[in-house]
Order: sequence, then C-alpha cells, then structure tokens
Amino acid sequence: MKRATETRAPLFLWMLGATLVALLIAASAALPEHSQSEAQKTRTVTFARDIAPVVFRSCASCHHAGEAGPFPLITYGEVKSHARQIADVTHKRLMPPWLPSREGLRFADDSHLQEPEIALFQSWVDAGMPEGDPADLPPTPEFPSGWQLGEPDLVLRAAVPFTIPASGGDVYWNFIFRSPLNSSRFVKAIEIHPGNKRLVHHANLLVDRTQSARRQEPSAGSGFAGMELQIESESFDPDGHFLFWKPGSAPVIEPPGLALRLDPENDLVLNAHLQPSGKPESIQPSIGIYFTEQPATRFPVLLQLENDRALDIPAGENHFVVSDEFTLPESVELLALYPHAHYLCREMLATARLPDGREKTLIHIPRWDLNWQAVFRLATPEPLPRGTTVVMRYRYDNSAENVANPNRPPERVTAGNRAVDEMAHLWLQVLPEARPAGQGDPRMVLQEALARHHTENNPADFAAHYNLAAMLQARGALEESARHYQAALRLRPGDSTVENALGAALLASGEISEAVRHLSAAAAGRPDYFDAHYNLGIALAGAGEFKLAAKEFAEAARLKPADSGAEANLGAALAELGERQKAIAHFQRALELDPDNRLARENLEALRDRP
Amino acid sequence: MFRASQPRFSRRASLSTLALLLMASVQAVAGLPDTTFASDLDGKPLDPFAAARGRVLVLLFIRTDCPISNRYAPLLETLSGKYRGKAVFWLVYPDRAETPSHIKTHLEDFHYSIPALRDTRRALVKRAQATITPEAAVFDSAGRLVYHGRIDNWYEDFGRARPAATTHELDDAISAALAGKKPTPDHANAVGCYISDLE
Repeated sequence: MKRATETRAPLFLWMLGATLVALLIAASAALPEHSQSEAQKTRTVTFARDIAPVVFRSCASCHHAGEAGPFPLITYGEVKSHARQIADVTHKRLMPPWLPSREGLRFADDSHLQEPEIALFQSWVDAGMPEGDPADLPPTPEFPSGWQLGEPDLVLRAAVPFTIPASGGDVYWNFIFRSPLNSSRFVKAIEIHPGNKRLVHHANLLVDRTQSARRQEPSAGSGFAGMELQIESESFDPDGHFLFWKPGSAPVIEPPGLALRLDPENDLVLNAHLQPSGKPESIQPSIGIYFTEQPATRFPVLLQLENDRALDIPAGENHFVVSDEFTLPESVELLALYPHAHYLCREMLATARLPDGREKTLIHIPRWDLNWQAVFRLATPEPLPRGTTVVMRYRYDNSAENVANPNRPPERVTAGNRAVDEMAHLWLQVLPEARPAGQGDPRMVLQEALARHHTENNPADFAAHYNLAAMLQARGALEESARHYQAALRLRPGDSTVENALGAALLASGEISEAVRHLSAAAAGRPDYFDAHYNLGIALAGAGEFKLAAKEFAEAARLKPADSGAEANLGAALAELGERQKAIAHFQRALELDPDNRLARENLEALRDRP
Repeated sequence: MFRASQPRFSRRASLSTLALLLMASVQAVAGLPDTTFASDLDGKPLDPFAAARGRVLVLLFIRTDCPISNRYAPLLETLSGKYRGKAVFWLVYPDRAETPSHIKTHLEDFHYSIPALRDTRRALVKRAQATITPEAAVFDSAGRLVYHGRIDNWYEDFGRARPAATTHELDDAISAALAGKKPTPDHANAVGCYISDLE
C-alpha cells in the first residue's frame, strides 16, 4: 500500500472590518503639562510660536493636500480659516480623533492633546488670531507623496474600481488582491493606498490563505459587499498580524523576526469602510508590499474575546452590559489591542486581573465611536503572565438618545454582521513566551484554550467548535476533534469546509467509511474544492477503492496542476491498479513539481525495483 | 422693509460702476440691508431678493472645503427639485478665497443645478444671520427671514452623524412659508464650519 500524504483542512478565523492604524506622531505626552499655561498668561498666543507646533504635530498628518483631512492645515491662512472650528473640536475632544482615555496603557501613537494645548486655540481666537513672528515658525512638516516607505517590491491594484453613491449611509466593500508570487516570501510591511482617502474611513487587510473570500464575489475580481469578513485560514499557521489603514496613518514596519509569510495563491482582502461624500466617487485601492529576507522567528497570535451570544438588547435599553473573560494558559506579551463593536456601543473597558491579584486597566474608551476605531499598539509590550484573566466589559445604548442608533424607532438588536446588528469583540495581539524546541507551540495552547472557552460560553458558536476541533486534530486528540467538528456541522449542516475537516479527522482515526461519507459530501457540495477531492482520494485508497481514488486524485490534480502531492497520490493509486507506465509518469510529474516529494521518489524507486 | 431696494435691482443690467455707486447710497441709509455686493459667477452683482420676485427664497450657505456642506449636496438638490417653480434656491459661497472658477468646479463635482452666488461682503450672511456652513435661510414672499439654521438634524456634532436625519427643519420651513405660515422652529443651530473663521 502506498503511503499518502497528510490531509488538509483550513481553520476559521473571524476578522473584522474596519480598523485603523495610528499616526506616527511623537507622543503629545512629551509636552510638560504646565509649561505653556504659564506662558499663555504673560504673552499673546501667536500662530508661529504657539499654534503651528501643535498643528504640525497633531493635525497636519491628515490635514494636508491629498490626505484624508477635508482641508489642509499647514499655512497660517489655512489654520486661521478654521480657527474657531479647531478650538471647538479640540475642546470637545473630537479632534484629533483618539478614543482611549488616559487611564489605560500607553499607546505608541497617542494623538491625545494636553489641556494647555487645547486652551491655546481659544486664546489664539480671542487674541484675534495673530500670525506672530515668522522667525518663531517651526519647519513645515514634509509629507512625501506616493509610497511612504519608498518604492514597494510589489504593487497590487484592485481589479476593478468600486463606485460609491453620492448619498446614503456608510458602505462596506471588500476588494480581493490576487498575489502573483510563485514562491513564499516574508513581508515586513504592507502600505495600503485605499484610493481617495477622504472616502475611506478605515480599512483592514486580511491574508486569505485558502482563497475563501473569492467564493463571495459575484464575478471574479468584482469584490463584494459586507461589513464583517470571515475568511478561512490554514490550520497550523495562525497569523498574528493586524494590517490596517486609517487616515493619516504611517505604515507599520514589523520588527525583525515578526515578518508575515505570504505564499503563492494567497489572496489579500481589503475590507474598507467608506462614507459617501456628496458626489459619486470611484475608488480603486492598491497595496505596496515590502519583502524581507529575514524569515519570521517570533510568532504573535491574535486572541479574540467576545460575547456576541449575550447581545440581545431590548429596544430603548440604554445600559446593556456585555462581558467576557479569559484566563491565559501561557505567559505572553501584549502588543496591541483592537476593540470592536458597532453603532450602539457607548463604552468599552478591558482590564487584566494579574495572578498576584492586581487589576490593571488595559484600555478604556469612555465614548466609543465606530468611525474612529483603531488598532491600538502599545508603546511598550505589556507582560501578562500565565494565569492572567483578561476581562472585557462593553456597554450599549439602544435608546433613541443614542444618535448613532441605526434604528428609528429603536428595535431589539442582536449580534450579526450587518451595520444594524451589534458585536462585542476585543482582539489582543500577543507574543507568547518562547519555549525550548520540541515543547509544543504556545500559540496552539492559547488557541485551543480560547476556542474551548468560546464553545463553553456559547455552544452555538460555529467557529469556536471548528477551531477547537482543528487544534485537537493537530495534536492528535482525534476523537474529541471529531466531536467538535460534528457540533460545527450541526450548526452549519452541509458546510463543505467542515465536511472535509471532519472527514480528515475520521480518516486519521481509521474510520474510513465514515470519512468517505463526509469527504464525498464536501466534494459534492463544492466541486472545485481541491482539499476535499484530495482527502477523498486518500480515504478511498484506504478502503481499497483504487479506481475511485484515482478519479479523485485526477480531479484534484486538474484543480491544482502544480500540486505535487496530488500527482504523487494519483501515481500511487494507478500503481495499485497495475497501471505501471501511467503511475511512473505521474510520479515523475510530481518530482518535476517538487524534487523533494518523498512519496513520489520512494514509490518510483519501488516501482522500478519491481520486475 | 426691503422692498425699497427692489426697483433699483430690476435694472441690474447696468454697468458695474453704476451698481457700485448705488451701493454707496444704499449703505448710507441706516438699517437698510445691503445685499448689493452678492454677485454671480461672472462677477455681476445679483440680488436674490429681487430675482425672487415675491416668491419664497431659500439661501444655502456652503463652502467648497466643508465636508459637512458637501455631504448635503444630494439632499439640497432633492429639495430644490421638490419646490421647483414655488421657491427660489441659491447656493451662497461666503468665502472670499473661493474664486468663481473654483466654485464652478465644485458645482460640477457635486452635480449641483442650483445656481450659485458669491457673498464676499457677507451681505447675505448678515441678512440671513448665518454663522455656519452648511446653513439655510428661508425668506417669505415679503422677503422676511422666517427660518435660519440647520438643514436637518443629520449631524449632532462634528464627526457625529445620525444614520439618517429625524427632523427636517429646512423642508418643513419651506412648506410653512409656502403655505403662508410661520415655521416652527424659526431657528436651529447648525453643525459645520464657522463663517467667522473666514477672511
């Protein structure tokens, strides 16, 4: 009996639309709290000496030509022509947009203004907005046009532009970029150019390793609508990176060792939150990719706390609290936080209860505003030892007093992907403490514990059952794995991805006839599903049905002509059927595709040795 | 009170120097509103009150770089279509820095068919008591200011928009004025860019 290669199954990861990165502005905290207020009492506030430094640092990154800010704020005239407005919006803390209060952790890109800075604007207006002595003016900030990080190694452009209507509510659109890579590369940065920056409120880029988002496109390359995006990700390679864009943001260059792997046939999916401007507009985003020769050596992981099941908010309820808590089974360093909810959420709090009993605020957003959501990267990584409990607590207002309420009059709201539904999610990007080689992957331990937590919290959580099953399957707990795949299948009967994964788990535990049944269902449900045909071929071969197996491997090879595994297995099945010459041809083809294909080489040698 | 100036403007076709002279005389009359410096995009003085000829007049104060103004463009066009033939609509640009060609591009970009005026001397701003862009003013058939303020309550504050407006002050005010009634409310604070910030 010829050996077959391992089975394949994806992992479901929920990622959310609409994220932002932050400005690479020097932290405003650098300004001493009282230095300016003293000065203000004794001298007239001028543009050149007092206003320009604040505007250049905290406003200009968005408010300059070609950027997202609706008007430039660079010259005296430009700032003067919005002076009262600036005094007003800074006083109300609507600008610069920054959601977290100061009681949580310090974030790398804090654009929060100090009170004395805010007071400067009103003093300037009161003084008649004098320009002051041009000699006092700091250097005008320079914003390179085009790619911020220089010419990218690879530029991908959305296949077709998307047209945003002149009026109406917010629009969520997903663009798929097809990667032209023919070998795996490591990526240190991705610069996102969303097109017209004044239309794009924020955008989130996801790596889709299984081209699963393409299934949602009405026609190839068209993109598709949707506020939230669910993609399938490879089992054992959870990618722990946030890739996002918000107005004025500088692209993040990952530190050495934290690169992101990009494989051939990976898609990059840009989920964009767009806002009509008053005229019909068209956008065609592009992304610039910067490679590094340094492979990833440290692997962050994204952990998601959530409690969508608890979201059942009666109409008119103005104080509805949803919480979740998760105890870390591994020591980690917290790198970034991404809180996410929709329009009804008013307040967000995330805390950490440390093993020594101390409680620490991670982030507090006293006035949530979906429009200014962001990924908040920590100024310095925060250690969270094993046994730390992370707690999220979100408050929702479903009354008519909440101006953002999408329903008039208010209606009962539950969890969902649409803008009128709600969410209660908190993503944490953590870097697990490294372990000596051979002692397991702490990412898997974290993901398994988290998935288990979610299945216990919400037995109807499809993704949690699926992901827990995938983790259990990976460490050989096949019986429990199959149970959770079955639970997932009960929640989404006939789902081809689950049928395939369950089939693979059953196959691995030797339950071949059951495996054949589920893998057949997967292949029938999605005839172009490579993994299903491939795995079904292996199961049929295991049952001695080599003719049927050869048919499945041939179909797999047709779907992915460059896959050496499919060719090698096809050769093996043909060899079993006595089709020696054909078998040799397929083994040779497999070795052309991948000279290291052991199965093909060994089988070929065995065949040659045979008379 | 404004009627007095109307005959003068019915002969508006005269030379601009003449208009300037007339202006001087208008300014000399205490309390008489000065609208004479509003001009069309060819630089000719234009008095929207005279042009309204006794119809309800709606002035819409906007600015090319005010994002809230711009997001209202489709609604303003809808309203002007709804009241076509009954009320006269003008877009009013109070920013002196916005040149006629700048404004023409803006009108094209946002698919405006409502005619535009420049109010570089803020005569219309004063008369409409406008402080913000976007802001609307409704004058009844006698040229009396009967409503001024926001278009509707779409925006609660900067960057804080409702999914859709729930009160429609401008639409209601025009309907009331056409019916010869006094709009309620006659004022509501607008959200947008301050006209007083302009030169």
